[in-house]
Amino acid sequence: MAAEDKGPWWRLIGLLLLLILAGMDLLVWQLSGGTDVPAAFENMLLGAALAFGLASLALLLVTLGAVHRHARWREQVFGLALFAGLGLSYAANEMGDSIDALRPGAGMLLAGLSAALAATGLIFGLLLALVTGREHVPDPLHDLQSTGGDVSMDIED
Amino acid sequence: MLNPADPALGFWIPLGLFCLAFGFWLTDKEDFRRRCLAPTVLVATVLIVAHGAKTRGGDAAETALLAVLFHMLGPVALMAAGTLIATFAGPSPVGPLPRGLRPFGFIMAIGGIFWIGWMLISEPPTATAHGIGETIWGAWVLVFLCTLILISAMAGSFCVMMGEQRHKEALVLAGLALAGSLMFLQLVEDGSADLLASGWHDIYWNEITFIFGGIIGLILAAIAFIGLVYIAEKRAPDPDVVAPLTEAEKAVVDAVLREHLGIGGEE
Repeated sequence: MAAEDKGPWWRLIGLLLLLILAGMDLLVWQLSGGTDVPAAFENMLLGAALAFGLASLALLLVTLGAVHRHARWREQVFGLALFAGLGLSYAANEMGDSIDALRPGAGMLLAGLSAALAATGLIFGLLLALVTGREHVPDPLHDLQSTGGDVSMDIED
Repeated sequence: MLNPADPALGFWIPLGLFCLAFGFWLTDKEDFRRRCLAPTVLVATVLIVAHGAKTRGGDAAETALLAVLFHMLGPVALMAAGTLIATFAGPSPVGPLPRGLRPFGFIMAIGGIFWIGWMLISEPPTATAHGIGETIWGAWVLVFLCTLILISAMAGSFCVMMGEQRHKEALVLAGLALAGSLMFLQLVEDGSADLLASGWHDIYWNEITFIFGGIIGLILAAIAFIGLVYIAEKRAPDPDVVAPLTEAEKAVVDAVLREHLGIGGEE
């Protein structure tokens, strides 16, 4: 059946993922006896700020390493330096007012990122292996020796 | 005196050097920076190895992170090798490996998950048994399981919705999601060999929310970078008006075109 017959497929898949996420949260909520929700959101904001600053810093270093005379580098370099400064200074301010206080958080982000990449790589690797291993019904046109399957003919009504 | 045990010198500067090296790799082959690529990577690797050798797990977040990554290298490498073997031993024309190896590839890939499961029920090494090492290890496992469940469910439902007899693929992905869910349930209900369920709950509410925010921050940084490139390109001045070709240049172009198109050769 064609994909377009199913309607907006991404809505259904998005809803499924949302349900799974909510289910996991509710399960841990029930087993742990609840949590401080504002603190969890604050944690999330802190992680976002730190990751934003670190990713901007990494992109700044890549830009500095690759800059060349034809590149319009000023916007990138100054913009990324500004973003890195904003993200890291906000995170440092919230996590103890020092760069040293950022180290455990940054380590945690690297651990999480490596775990997410490993899981995603495993799933898409398996999917690729399964998809490339599909057996198709043999097409008799491909067996035609003379044309190698490249056939064109007019069919009269 | 420079001390490789210092996390700034032994971990964060090498990470910065890797980013710079990636920038060097993007330059033209003739550029002198391309020749700096190998020495930069070598220096960064030596510094990280020296840092790992001079410190012990639990000393600091960086050492604990290196210990966890080293610890997980085995199952991740097994999964990666398994999926590659299963892909290249398939019936497609790009598969140069013998077909008989294909089941072993799948067994290796699934074996990686069981290896992680076995790690959870066995005594952990000292680097991940307590302190920051235990927290980082726990966060790694929980993020891995959450991603496994969510991405498997997404890819599996996508296979079902796309139709075209993709039920086998959907079933395998559903199995992965189910295995991940069972491991997740076991951890949050009964805990693991060295960490009580309450420890896993703390990691879930404190570290997973932090990492989830981090993923959002990464996406925002990528969007901001694209915005900067867009602004830079938009501000670029229009190219100058190019002077028309002279008669001599027209003759050169004419000759080149005639030669390459193979026309007027006998004139």
